[in-house]
Amino acid sequence: MLVKLKVNGELRQADVPPETTLLKMLREDLGLTGAKLGCDVGDCGTCTVIVDGDSLNSCLMLAAKANGREITTIEGLATSADLHPLQKSFEELGALQCGFCGPGMLMSAKNLLDKNPEPSVHEIKDALSGNLCRCTGYTKIIEAIQDAGRELSGAAAGN
Amino acid sequence: MKRRGKGIGCMWYPIGFTVMANPSAATVKVNTDGTATLLTGTVETGQGALTVLGQIAAEALGISTDDVHVVSGDTDTTPMDTGAIASRTTYVTGNAIVRAAEAARELLFEAAAPLLGVKADQLEARDKRIQVLGFPSKSLPISEVALHAETNVGRPAIGSASYNPPTVPMDPETGQGKPFNTYVYATQIAEVEVDDETGEVEILRIVAVHDCGTPINPMLVEGQIQGGISMGVGFALQEEILFKDGVQVNPNLTNYIMPTSLDMPELEVELVDNYDPTGPFGAKGAGEPTAVPTAAAIMNAIYDAVGVRITSLPATAEKVMMAILEKREQEAKSA
Amino acid sequence: MVTTVKDVKTGAEALTTDKELTAPAVKPVTLPSENPVVYPLTLPEPAARTQTPAVGQRASRPDGRLHGLGQTKYIDDLTFPHMIHAKILRSAHPHARIISVDTSEAEAMPGVFATLTGKEIPVNSFGPTLQDQPVLAGDIVRHRGDGVAAVAAVTEQIAADALEKIKVEYEPLPAVFDPVEALKDEIKVHAPNSNIYASKVIRKGDVDKALAESDHVFHREFRTQFVEHVPLEPHSSVAMWDGNGRVTIYSSLGRITLGREDLSRTLRIPQNRVRLIGTIVGGNFGGKNEITNEPILALLSKKTGRPVKCTYTRGDEFVSSTIRHPFIMDYTTGVNNEGKILARKIRLVLDGGAYCSWTGTTIGKGSILAPGPYNIDNLLVEAYAVYTNKTTTGAMRGFGAPQVCFAYESQMDDIAVALGIDPLEIRLRNAFSENSFSPTSQVLQSVAIKESLLQASDRFGWKE
Repeated sequence: MLVKLKVNGELRQADVPPETTLLKMLREDLGLTGAKLGCDVGDCGTCTVIVDGDSLNSCLMLAAKANGREITTIEGLATSADLHPLQKSFEELGALQCGFCGPGMLMSAKNLLDKNPEPSVHEIKDALSGNLCRCTGYTKIIEAIQDAGRELSGAAAGN
Repeated sequence: MKRRGKGIGCMWYPIGFTVMANPSAATVKVNTDGTATLLTGTVETGQGALTVLGQIAAEALGISTDDVHVVSGDTDTTPMDTGAIASRTTYVTGNAIVRAAEAARELLFEAAAPLLGVKADQLEARDKRIQVLGFPSKSLPISEVALHAETNVGRPAIGSASYNPPTVPMDPETGQGKPFNTYVYATQIAEVEVDDETGEVEILRIVAVHDCGTPINPMLVEGQIQGGISMGVGFALQEEILFKDGVQVNPNLTNYIMPTSLDMPELEVELVDNYDPTGPFGAKGAGEPTAVPTAAAIMNAIYDAVGVRITSLPATAEKVMMAILEKREQEAKSA
Repeated sequence: MVTTVKDVKTGAEALTTDKELTAPAVKPVTLPSENPVVYPLTLPEPAARTQTPAVGQRASRPDGRLHGLGQTKYIDDLTFPHMIHAKILRSAHPHARIISVDTSEAEAMPGVFATLTGKEIPVNSFGPTLQDQPVLAGDIVRHRGDGVAAVAAVTEQIAADALEKIKVEYEPLPAVFDPVEALKDEIKVHAPNSNIYASKVIRKGDVDKALAESDHVFHREFRTQFVEHVPLEPHSSVAMWDGNGRVTIYSSLGRITLGREDLSRTLRIPQNRVRLIGTIVGGNFGGKNEITNEPILALLSKKTGRPVKCTYTRGDEFVSSTIRHPFIMDYTTGVNNEGKILARKIRLVLDGGAYCSWTGTTIGKGSILAPGPYNIDNLLVEAYAVYTNKTTTGAMRGFGAPQVCFAYESQMDDIAVALGIDPLEIRLRNAFSENSFSPTSQVLQSVAIKESLLQASDRFGWKE
């Protein structure tokens, strides 16, 4: 079946079997391998993307269900002018180690900051609770999100 | 009622394989613009090996981390390496890199000596220059020296070396011997809150103080410690593969519970000031030991909180509650 | 006027009009873009990376930026022209003799390119210490995670469906799951060999005499569990056999030098015909330290002439890759009234699962570290590793150290409580110093155990 969607601001389409998940379509048909396959059943969060403004596990959504919707993946986080503040703070603070959880973590974090630019530590932990990380103990990830949040809200306040 | 307790776990841990040879080899090439390329057969597995190894090569050549490009992970192009195992990369591969970089640097010294009018052993590599020891003003940029060595002297600055930690086999009857060349040490202290009505354990805080010799990159060492603690928390309270008649009961992340962001307490990480003269610039290692004392500290904190000794891991709420009930029963009997 | 135009790439002809030819409108792009990743092409390097001296700098990782951009390529992100996918059938029994494996029906399925069984593997054994593990089972399966046959097909789904068409006839054998039972050798996992496949002794002074002379003797048994590494990236490899008889393998393996030796040995080809490439491992923790499916993929690629990929499911990751050794730890410790340890007697039993894997290192480190970072003159450590018909236990962060640390530190607090000594104080009284003798009588240097105890207790506010 033909699935048409808008990914990272661009119209994309692919002809996929009906059982195809959004994750599989992104990775195998659209060449966007940023979102990862970690468990395929929604437990680990490595496949997190943003669909119409909400983060979700793309392994749990059929591609057909994403037809006509707007998807943001990790590949759409930066612009040609600059990195997203989250990308900068994750890099500078060494938030990621093996990096496999990173694309999902960053999309969950972006989703949080889009809605709440100055989250508390508890709100951050809550927002990341569906994204497993085995390397970092989450500590530097949380610090990096706070850091990016400060930059975003500072920019919004015109500082 | 929620009861608080605190507990200590301390440990020692060796670097490298038990007696068995576990060598690493490395090649360092200084380019004619003063940058360098490092070839290593290890693979980045997330711990930051390539960053740390690049820093070690840079230090030996007196250049910056960004000046070194690390080529790794290809058996066709990189020298042998025993690999990302046994907390050995910083120490063993690092030592090989220091020796390889020193061999390349020696060629730079020999090329620079006549230009600076001194002997090669009177030179040092520092701040991207080859300079006379104690006379920073008498120096040449590394780029100039590297170009001179390659195009005029005809001896490009390339060095290769290997390292294997020396050991003495253990006596088969008594186990006496020197199985490792060095060890690291650490203490973690946990503060927990135990609900004596449900057995649930919440970790409030963990202080971790680790020895890794010289921290080549303190930020990455902190990351290792924080990650190791999360693995220790899972080992202590949550994780267990269950079997029934040889079949795994919970082979998935739905029923195998590991720490999420919500399970991690506040972590306070510090390093002990230490220097091991046998390691690269005094460094030892940091990978595995970070996960070692966490469970012990948590179990001792549970004891401190509710007076029960947990003797099998993980300390699930059911297990802790059972122990509390057993203790109450015994106390009632003896009363 | 209507004209015929020809597409230069495809040769397809289409009718168009003058108007369209003369006034080409800008149309929205719907074709897959060439470069799906948008990011600034030049970015400044953080200062810590550009400063000297390099050592001690909080230099950011060069791979860190790529992680953030989603540009890091893990093995499962790689695709190659004409690549096909493999799946591995796991044993239906924890212990059984394989009477027959019939892959004909699977092979006949549309989309299936090839199958492979253990008999087709040139040297069907591997392992870092004992080479007791088959790549795919030979005559016997010894745990449920043993691979029995593999299929390569055009899609993962077809390969998975084809596994169900493989007919395996088993003769179930009695199985042993409990390590203490296994010590009796009544049911053998690797008959006729004993289940006890590794042991270690560390002996110093006279432990029985010192225990008899101790003011207090403490005894307790501790146990630990099976733990999975849970790397977020499941094991993944792609193998490509070429016309020169060389095989290139991209793998999530953390140890490529030894991986190449194992591949050369199992495939019986020279090492210089094997190229093993690691990109970045998406989490290792000891679980990606030996080959798993790489020889299978190499042989399926040799059979089909195509690149063959296999990425483990999360289930494969649990049941077929190695996990942490459970320990049964019996600790007897004699102390004087001041809490000074005079003697320690330790017995360790390691559940080794079906194959040896990294048990040699685990039993070695576990035994040496078991007495703890303490000066003890009279010691006896006896450790045994036994086979059981369960998942193979192997290397995992700490090689037995987290297990024994749980035991020796728990007992340390038992002693402290019984003698009314502060837990920090009892540790300081016993801890190693510079030039202390280790349990193997090695002179220890750059020792920092007391420093770490004092620094941590200060930071924590232990005495408050």
